[in-house]
Parts: sequence; C-alpha cells; structure tokens
Amino acid sequence: MASNPSPSSPSLNSGSVLQFDRFQSLVDVGFWHRLSSLKLETLGIDQSPITLVGFFAPHSRAQVSNHLTLLSESLPTAPIEHASSIETNLGNRNRCPVPGILYNTNTLEEFKELDRDNLLQIEANKILEDIRLGKVEEDSTLLLRFLVISYADLKTWSFRYLFAFPALVIDPPATLMSLQPATQILTAEEAESLSAACNEWRSSSLTAGIPFFIVSINSDSQATLRPLKDWESCQGDQNKLLFGFYDPCHLKTNPGWPLRNFLTFICLRWKLQKVRFFCYRERLGLANLEVSLIGDALISIQKEPQYIPKVVGWERIGNRLALRCISLAESMDPQRLAASAA
Amino acid sequence: MVLRQRIHDAFKETMERMTGPRMVSAFKEKGVLSVSDFVKAGDNLVSKCPTWSWEVGEPSKKKVYLPANKQYLITRNVPCLRRAYSVEEEYEAAGGEVLLDNEDNDGWLATHGKPKETKNEEEDDLPSMETLEISKGRAIQSIPSYFGGEEEDDIPDMADFDDSGNLVEPDDPATLRNQYFVAHEPEDENILRTRTYDVSITYDKYYQTPRVWLTGYDESRMPLQPELVLEDVSQDHAHKTVTIEDHPHLPGKHASVHPCRHGAVMKKIIDVLMSRGVEPEVDKYLFLFLKFMASVIPTIEYDYTMDFDLGSSSS
Repeated sequence: MASNPSPSSPSLNSGSVLQFDRFQSLVDVGFWHRLSSLKLETLGIDQSPITLVGFFAPHSRAQVSNHLTLLSESLPTAPIEHASSIETNLGNRNRCPVPGILYNTNTLEEFKELDRDNLLQIEANKILEDIRLGKVEEDSTLLLRFLVISYADLKTWSFRYLFAFPALVIDPPATLMSLQPATQILTAEEAESLSAACNEWRSSSLTAGIPFFIVSINSDSQATLRPLKDWESCQGDQNKLLFGFYDPCHLKTNPGWPLRNFLTFICLRWKLQKVRFFCYRERLGLANLEVSLIGDALISIQKEPQYIPKVVGWERIGNRLALRCISLAESMDPQRLAASAA
Repeated sequence: MVLRQRIHDAFKETMERMTGPRMVSAFKEKGVLSVSDFVKAGDNLVSKCPTWSWEVGEPSKKKVYLPANKQYLITRNVPCLRRAYSVEEEYEAAGGEVLLDNEDNDGWLATHGKPKETKNEEEDDLPSMETLEISKGRAIQSIPSYFGGEEEDDIPDMADFDDSGNLVEPDDPATLRNQYFVAHEPEDENILRTRTYDVSITYDKYYQTPRVWLTGYDESRMPLQPELVLEDVSQDHAHKTVTIEDHPHLPGKHASVHPCRHGAVMKKIIDVLMSRGVEPEVDKYLFLFLKFMASVIPTIEYDYTMDFDLGSSSS
C-alpha cells in the first residue's frame, strides 16, 4: 500500500475537501449468542464467510449518530444456504437492512493473520462491480456493504472483532462548496412538500428500507422521491434534482459515511460533476428539514474507465483500529449459569 | 432478597402457566391491560412515535398469547447524556416532585413533565461534543471486557495485532477525524460520557401491565454491565424497583423496572385524569405509562411525544 501522506489539494479555489463522518458499529449481545449456537450446532470448524444483514436508520435524536447494528437476526438461521433474511426485515423503518459479510476464524492466530487489506479490497471490488453493472440502481443498499472479522473463543465465551465500512477513494477527493440546513436552501413550500414526501417514503413498507433516492422538485414546489432506477426518466423534466440518502450522522458540519460511495456511484455511473445532495435526518422518527442538510459537491470524473480506486474503511477510534473484545462468560458459560442459579 | 425474588419468580411462572392471559379490559378499574389492549396501545405508540417498533425477539422465547410479529416494543440508540443523580439534585433544588402514592415508602414519584424542559439550556451546559479532545490514554485494546475483569489477561494478546496495514488510511483526506467524543474526567459532575440505551417494553402477563427493560451501551458502543445501568435510574428506585433479570424475549440479563406497582400507579393516573373530566383511552396507555417511567429513568431521553396534561400543575 502506498503511504504517501500528502493530501491532494482541492482543484478549486473555493470549497474544501468534503469530509465524511465515519460509520459506527454496535453489536447486540444477541448476535454473539446466535453466532455461538451457529458455530456449535451447524458450522463446526467451517470458516467460510457468513452472509450478514446489518441494520441502520437515519439520525433521529440530538447529539447521537445512528449506528450500523448487528442483532441476532443479522445471522442466517440454521440452513446457511438460505442466507439473507433481508426479506423478513422489509418494512421495519428502524431497521434498514444492509448486506455484510463475516469472516470468523477458529483461532486467535488466524484472526491476527487475516489479510485485512485484501478482504477490504474484495468488498470494494464488489461495490465497484455493482456500480458498473447497474446493480446499484436496483438495490442501492449494495453501496453500504460492510465487513466484519472476528474470532469467537467458545472456550472462554469471548469475542474479538473488527468492522469495516468499505469506501471507494476518489482522487482528487470531492470538494464541498456549501452545506446548510435544508430549510435554508428550500422555500417553505418546497420544504413542506419534501417533508411530506419523505414521511410517505419512510412509512411505506415498500420504500422504508431504501436508503438512497432521488428528490425531484417541480416548478410548483412539489417534491417527489424516486428510486435510483428512475434516473433516466428524471432527466427529461426540468425539475430540480437532489440526491438523497439516509444520514446516520448527527453533525451539522459533515455528512455521514453513506454519501461517500453514493457520490462515487453518481460520478462513475451517471458522470455528474456537480452534485446537490440531501442528508435526510429525522426527529421523533419524522422528517425534519431543520436538521437535514443540503450540500453542493464537485467531483472529477475519473479518466480511465477501468480505474480501480483505493479503499478505506476499517473502523477506527481516533487513529487506532477499533478492535473490540467482549466477554460473555457470565451469560453464556453453562457452568457459571449453573452456579448462579444454584 | 435474591432467594425471595427467585421464589417469587417461580410462583409467578407457575401462575402464568395456569392462568390464561387477561382478555377482558380492566384498564379503568385496575390500571392493567389485557393482551389485546397492549397490542392496541403498542400499535398506537408505533404509529405516533415511529422510533418505536414491534419486534419478534428470540424464536425460542416466543409468547403464544401475543401476535408472532408483535412480541415486544423497542426503541434503539436513545441518548443518556447525564447520570441520574445529577438530575435529582436539580429536582430537589426546584422542589419538582410529587409523591403519587404516599401510603408507604414505595411510592412512585411523578415529575412535572420533563426533567429540564429547556433543551437548549441543557445543550449549553455541555461542551460541544465535536470539540472535545480525544483521550489519548484510551487505546481500544484497553476497553474493559463485559462483565468484570477476568478476561483482562487475554486482552494484551492483541497488542501485537498488526495495525500497520492501513497506515495510509489516517491520511485519507475525505475521512473526518477525531469524531469520538470522550468527555474530560468529570471536573464538572454533570458531564459524563454519553451512553445510549435500547429501551424495550414487554407485556408482563402476571401483573398484566407493560414492563420496561434497559440495555445500555457506553460511549464506544460496548454493552454496559447491568450494574452500571443502575446509575441511570433514579436512586429511589435503583436496586429496589429496578432489578436485573432475564429478558423475556432477548438473551442475557437486563435491567428492568419491576412491574409490581405499575397497575396501582396507572390506576391513580387514570383516576386523576377522570377527575379532571378527561376520558382516558386505552390506546394512549403507553404514552401515560412512558411519561410515568420518565420519573424512574429521568436522563434517558426516549420518545413519547404527547404532552399529556396529567391534571397537575404541569406546564
């Protein structure tokens, strides 16, 4: 890997490098319980990667960002072949499903020796391929693919793990021209119409789990939300277009991580250089355009069509890898359970 | 105490098995809910406050008397910016509590609305989360393991974990850095690390009332030991009405507000409403209930939107 530290300077005089707030992970204890029984009852020493479904939702409460959450339902139930439980989770607006993959090793040594750069690159290549083959228009959650490596020590009931949220690195990076609360960009009428359209999108079981969309505002200030596959038909009309996404981030100054691959997608697939994006955020579970942001970004189209971007995304806390260890002996060790019940 | 609790649990379990679930509504008479009332009130909560949703839970713990897809309610990632005792001090200073039930010492406290109505004021109290400096001493390897320190010997084995592979990443110009707010050591007692909670509501068949459960996470999103959860419970209730037990739908031990007096308190709230000429509707039960729960967990800012006039001097 190259280690050239000099950040590319923005190509324009005004504007700054668009910086994205990292995605954060949270693992419910139930996930480890189900992984343990899966290991003990079904997988044995098989170390094949396991398909996961992570869940997230737009930011909804002041001062905290939302997470990518793993629950026991994130793991496939007994027969591994019938993976993805995405279907069963459709419609729960607080659980937008995101595809992920888990590499769980049998020993600590194997865990340490996993080729993390390579694993991350594999996921990034999938994202790139999904963009180039047009799969993203059909299923936009593919832009949010994530990766977990873990070592589940079932002798001590402890679990070590590390998350990655792969992001394609475009060079030069996108430039942020402006970023403001949506209410300051839109007219009152537009804002009201957009709020209503977002609430409708979020409350329909068909669309509640779709985190990327196109906002189209016509000359009568009426906003509609359209899926990405409607891009072609959106271009014909003279409407204002915004590229919307569920933003888990709470910061007023930065958009969240999901925008990153979305912009890359827009740039690689739709060849746009100037993008007006919409960070969709909520309060009390309803659209709130005071906390939602609208920004303008400039991106450069990559010259070579087969260009392979670099990838980043291992979860960090500060500058360190967010390597975590959780011990669940108290709630899982049969001996301890027996002792505490005696 | 523990033994008593266990005997009681066994008794309760037997009773639950022998008695059918309540089907007839006794909402106004006893402050309790039938199963269908619970589902109705839950549907209303989910529709008015969409951060709440129905969940299925562990298949092995499924309760047959509840609809398969409506086993319990949950709202996730609820911030808890301060520990409960700091709020209590403010309360006492303001004289802001009323005892709803003063027949004995187990009385529930009712609040006059939210602990501190003015959100802005509270935000002013806190230094901007974005600017707080990262505590350099908190290397991630040192995150304490869940439930005690027995694993500590094991954790240094990660010290040789190869962290060099992604050296290029900290220099990635498009990644916002230093986002992790770790509070200063409490010079100001009110500033503690932001915790988050998953708050769930189950139906307690024995007491025929809803029951609240708390699953806590620390600021780096690792599960909190249930004992630490008690810091976020009003100290009048910690260890007394708030206990640590098996969750009826989820694995593991979680803190829970014991429902033994829920019916009586809800009955009192309903009586107050009726005496003011307000006819309480059963589908609003959970809003009233959650407002009442706010006196037990004053710093966990879950959503219940409706600002009910409880007939008291609430503003």
